[in-house]
Amino acid sequence: MITLKEGNWRVPKWNRKVFAVAGGLTNYKKFCPEMKLEEQAMAAFRQMLEQNDLKRSPAEVKGLINFLACGSFADHFQDQLLCEAKVTDYLGLDPMYDIGVKTGGATGGSTVLTAAMAIASGYADVALAVGWERMSEVDTRTGNYYISTAACKDFETRLSRIYSAYYAPMAVRFAWAYNLSEETRAKVAVKNHLYAYYSPYAQQPGKYTVQEVLNSPMSTYPLRFLECCAMTDGAACMLLCDEKTAHKLSDRPCELFIAGGSHTLRVADRRDMEIPLLPHESPDLYKGLRKKEGQRWPGFESFAAARFAAYFAYRMAGIKNPLEELDLVELHDAFTISDIQTYGDIGLRPYGQEPDYIESGDAYFGGKCPANLSGGLIGTMHAVGATGIFSGIECLWQLQGKYDRFHGDPKIWESFGKKKPEDWKSLQVPRAKQAAWVSHAGVGSHVTVGVLRKAY
Amino acid sequence: MLPEAKRVEYTGTPAKVLQSEPAMVIEWPRSLAHRHTYGKLSPFFQGLARGKLLATKCTNPECKEHRLWLPPRADCPDCNQPMVWQELPQPVIGMVHTYARVEYAGAGIELTTPYFQIDVELPGVCTIFKGYLQYGTAEIGMKVQARFRTENPTNTILDIYWVPMPG
Repeated sequence: MITLKEGNWRVPKWNRKVFAVAGGLTNYKKFCPEMKLEEQAMAAFRQMLEQNDLKRSPAEVKGLINFLACGSFADHFQDQLLCEAKVTDYLGLDPMYDIGVKTGGATGGSTVLTAAMAIASGYADVALAVGWERMSEVDTRTGNYYISTAACKDFETRLSRIYSAYYAPMAVRFAWAYNLSEETRAKVAVKNHLYAYYSPYAQQPGKYTVQEVLNSPMSTYPLRFLECCAMTDGAACMLLCDEKTAHKLSDRPCELFIAGGSHTLRVADRRDMEIPLLPHESPDLYKGLRKKEGQRWPGFESFAAARFAAYFAYRMAGIKNPLEELDLVELHDAFTISDIQTYGDIGLRPYGQEPDYIESGDAYFGGKCPANLSGGLIGTMHAVGATGIFSGIECLWQLQGKYDRFHGDPKIWESFGKKKPEDWKSLQVPRAKQAAWVSHAGVGSHVTVGVLRKAY
Repeated sequence: MLPEAKRVEYTGTPAKVLQSEPAMVIEWPRSLAHRHTYGKLSPFFQGLARGKLLATKCTNPECKEHRLWLPPRADCPDCNQPMVWQELPQPVIGMVHTYARVEYAGAGIELTTPYFQIDVELPGVCTIFKGYLQYGTAEIGMKVQARFRTENPTNTILDIYWVPMPG
C-alpha cells in the first residue's frame, strides 16, 4: 500500500501566473521524408510565430525567448542524441538554454510543464515548448518493438513487443469490472477518426461505422487497429509567457495550470490504494467500487498517475467540478480503452461509470464537454514528443475562438497537399472559456493534466 | 603528415538509397548487442532455468508490506531496505487476473502468434505476474499452473509459462 504524507499532497503553486499565447503544428504523416526533424520543428515554429495574431514580429518574439523546453520521446527513433541542440540552433535560438524532456507518451505535457515552471519561477518571461518525433526512421514493426521497450524490459517486453498488448489486458479487465461493451469502445474510435476528418493536420481521418471498427483487423484482442493511435512524424510548438508579456503579445492569452503524476511502469505492480478524491467527489463515493473479488485501485482499470495529475491541476486552477466547468477536453486516446479509463481518472464520470460519458453524448461536439475535437491520437497524430503540446494547442485555439482559422482555411489544407472536404464543418465550441488536456505515458507511468483558461 | 601512399581509404559499405524523391532517403543499418545485467535479480532468472519461481520479501519489522513481490525487486519500495528471496512452493498455481490475445506482435517476437498473454494472481503475492499461456483459452478467474523451460532455457522471462489446470 502506498501511503502518502502531508508533503506529498502539497498542491503545486506558481510563483507568478503563466499564460499560453500561440501554437504551431505540422502536417502529421506516417512517413515524412521531405523534412528532417529540425525542419519539422521549424514548420511548427513558423506557424506559431506567423499565424497566431501576435502583436510583435517573428523576429521581435524570438528576441524575447530565453528558455526552451524540448520534448522527444525516444532516441531510438531519432537515432541522434542531443537533438535539442540541433533544433535550438535550427530555430535560430542559440545560445538560449534548452532542456531535453523525456517522459514517454507524456513528453509533450512534461515539456509544457517544464516551460511553465521556467515562467512561474521567473527564469524566463517567454519560453518555448517544442516537441517532435520521427517514428518513420524504422519500419512499423520495429517501431512497435522500440515502443514496447517502454514496458519493463526484463519482465514484459519479450511477452509481445507491441504496446497494444499492454493495453489489451486493461480492456479485458475493465470490461469485466465495469461492464464496458465493445461497441462503446468502438464509438470512441468512430468519433475521433471523424473529428480528424475536419482537421488538415490529421494522419488518420475517416468516416467509419461502429461495425467497421469492430470488423477491422485485430492488433491484440480486444483492440483493433482502428482503435489504436497513429505512429507519426511531426512537431509542435507552444509559446508561454508571464502575464505582462502575454498581454503585450496577444489579445487572446489563456492562463495555464499544469501538474503531473507518476506510477510504476508495470501495471501489475500497482497495489491497491486509497483513491485520492477530486474536489467534487465525496468520501463515500467509492465504497462499493471494489465489489468483485480481487479488485484493486487503480489496478488494470484506472491510472493513479492521471488521478494525481488531475487532483493537483484542478486544485491549482480552482476547478471544483470538471464536467461542469470545462468546455472541452483533449485526452490522450492512444487506444480507445485508455481514453475511456481516463474519464474516471479526471472526473468526467465517477469510477465505474466511464462508458456513460460516451453513451450520454457528453463527449461529442455539441455535448456537455466534448473530447478530442482535434481528432486526438487515434485520428490525427501521435508524434510522441509533440503530442502533449499538440493537444494543448488545440485547446488554446478553441479558447481563442480560432478553430476555424486553423482547421478551415483552405490554404492550410493546400499547403499540405490536401483538399478541404466539401462537407467540412466547424467544431468550434461556442463561448469556450476553459479546457483541459491530458498527456499520458506508458500504461500510465506518467501523466500530466493541463488546464487553459481564457484570460481576455 | 600522411604520405600520399598511405592516404585515407574508405572502408565502409555505401549506403543503399531507398528513394530519391521527394527527398533522398538512405538505409542506416543498426545491429548492436547490448550487455544487459539482471543485477540483483540474477537469482530469479537462474532459478527459472532450474524450475524454481523465486520471489522477494521484505523482512524489516518496521515495514508494513510483508507480502511477496513477483516480479521480484531486490529492495523494498516502502522502507527502502534490502529484501530476501523466497521460493514459491510447487506446484505453482495461480489465477488469471486478466489477459490479451496477441495476434500482431512487434519485431523480434520469439513466440508463435496468436497466443494468450496472461496476468496471474498468486497467493501471498502483492503484485500480479505477467506471462503467457502455452495452450488453451484464457479467461478471468481461470486456474493455471506454472511450467519452466529447464531444457535449452532462453535465459529470459520466457523461461516460465503457464498451462490450464484441469477442471
